[in-house]
Amino acid sequence: MIIEIISLILLWFGIYYIVSLSLNMEFGYAGIPNFGKALSVLVGAIAVGGILDRLLILYFGVGGDFITGTTYATSMLNDLIASNPIVGIGILILAIILASILGFIVGAIFILPSAKLKEDYLGVTLLAISEAVFLICMYNLNIIGGYYGISTPDILAFVPGEYRGWAFTGIVLFIAFLVYLFFERLLNTPFGRVLRAMRENEDTVKAFGRDIMMLRIKTMAIGSAIGAIAGALYSLYTVNIIANAFTRVEWTFFPFLMVLLGGKGNNKGVALGVLCYVVVKVLLDVYKYNLKYTLNIPFEPVWLSYMLFGVLMLLILYYKPSGLIPEKPIITPPMKKKIMEISNK
Amino acid sequence: MILEGAIIYSNLLVLLALGLTLTYITTNVPNFAQGSYAIVGSYVALTLLKLFDINPYLSLPVLFVVGAVVGLITYLALKPLLKRGASVEILMIATLAIDLILLGAIGAYSEILSQIVGSTQAKFVFANLDFTLFGFKGILFVSTFVIILLLIGLYLLLYKTKFGIALRASMENPSLAQTMGIDVEKTRLFSWILSGALACVAGGLLPFMQEIVPSTGDLIIISIFAASIVGGLRHISGALIGGYIIGLSESLITYYLSQAFGTGFLVYGKVISLIIMILTLLIAPYGITGVDWRKVKKMLFTS
Repeated sequence: MIIEIISLILLWFGIYYIVSLSLNMEFGYAGIPNFGKALSVLVGAIAVGGILDRLLILYFGVGGDFITGTTYATSMLNDLIASNPIVGIGILILAIILASILGFIVGAIFILPSAKLKEDYLGVTLLAISEAVFLICMYNLNIIGGYYGISTPDILAFVPGEYRGWAFTGIVLFIAFLVYLFFERLLNTPFGRVLRAMRENEDTVKAFGRDIMMLRIKTMAIGSAIGAIAGALYSLYTVNIIANAFTRVEWTFFPFLMVLLGGKGNNKGVALGVLCYVVVKVLLDVYKYNLKYTLNIPFEPVWLSYMLFGVLMLLILYYKPSGLIPEKPIITPPMKKKIMEISNK
Repeated sequence: MILEGAIIYSNLLVLLALGLTLTYITTNVPNFAQGSYAIVGSYVALTLLKLFDINPYLSLPVLFVVGAVVGLITYLALKPLLKRGASVEILMIATLAIDLILLGAIGAYSEILSQIVGSTQAKFVFANLDFTLFGFKGILFVSTFVIILLLIGLYLLLYKTKFGIALRASMENPSLAQTMGIDVEKTRLFSWILSGALACVAGGLLPFMQEIVPSTGDLIIISIFAASIVGGLRHISGALIGGYIIGLSESLITYYLSQAFGTGFLVYGKVISLIIMILTLLIAPYGITGVDWRKVKKMLFTS
């Protein structure tokens, strides 16, 4: 039991860390209030459910409607993966590539309507676009199966059932680590510093000849590509996609909670924030019925968790607006050299 | 028939958008919890109906008071942040948090109510309770009556009383109003209370035309923002204009498109309001009331 809980915590840590890192670049570094983060995760699911599944249906030549077609096509593929692990890994890589390309394109388009908008209008527009796409995906059964849901391939069909959770956790953590390295490298460049400058004062950045819109497009494209990878991993882990899972609360509000709890603009702080949230979330998920019956709560514990996390967010905003580990000033190598010289004297 | 539904919907949207615009003007907070305020109203009306057998129309005054309290609590929750001069993103996140707390409270309450009443109350409508007059639904008259009452009330308040002048002054220019000795704090408090009250009243009327679930608020918030933005977030009459534009176009355009492309299209109403909102933002970022019409006229005549 304990082992399973630890595995779940690590898995969710990996998935949410990927989402939060991308949000941290958009919101923590570049100052874009991306209240449509859920869209990028949904795009990852579309890449797996809408594109990869369709390719499989075409490849295996399954007839019939889309929703049942995915069930047959994925079970055929799972048989193939069970005998040949390379196929499973190939499908994983293909899914990640598809998701990041689609996320990149969607992210770049997503930000376009907001060319001239100030922060508040920008946030509202992003939220509205994300919510509208979510509604379309929910009610149109031909995209990713809507509220009925569709199957996705089990890329670890060759792993015995009891080890599957751990194997997948390993993969997710490995990818999360790669994403972390990617962002650390990317944001410690002049690009990362210009993003911070844009957050602090757009006019100054403009005065130095940088195109604000181009910076925003680049940020959102990269951020959405990474968010989509998390969405693809999540859909591959659960082996099915139900559009209801990609809500604003789950994939926009909670990532914001994690980023703000950990400390925006600080990737290590965000890791701490994600860990805190995920531990509470998984424990609540696992023990929700024990909690319900021991405390005699007359309603589903999910509502209680909403109230709890809402209050937690307000408390963070009141008392720890810069998070558990605040952002540190940037020290570039030339600055470091100068500091060393001064301290040596 | 379809126009009737569109007008009812627009009336309710005006009530909701008016509150959103009001609090945005006075405190600069885009309030994402506005949709959930309405659902609080819906559930209070449901409770009064189920437990005390009070017709939802008669419970509107109660809803007004309940909404006022909800609005007041929201303002008090935001006040520490406003005092600190928090950025607008932080304030938006705070209203998202309040929205989530309200959603949790409504969901929990709906299940408690189900246990008290003895049947599930997670989904409900009031449409079966409505009366008909001259072949029209009663809600058409009631919602229109509420709007007229509100407009007369607002007109008298804003243009005929001293408090109204102070209110308008602090909307136009808060810092100047403050130096003239106007208590800006009072006007902010007033705007939040009124905003909550109007939203709750709208929420009491909403079940007459659509099914309510605890998360309905998250859905209608798109239309509310679209209405306020299309009308212009900087001017109070913007909510009125925007509410009717979004309400009518969302209902009518979706209806005609569904006639052309099949009933599957009906669920895309929110997409229509989103498109209108984005077009407005691209052409006139400050909404219809933010457009300098004299300039437009000049441009049209010279070209």
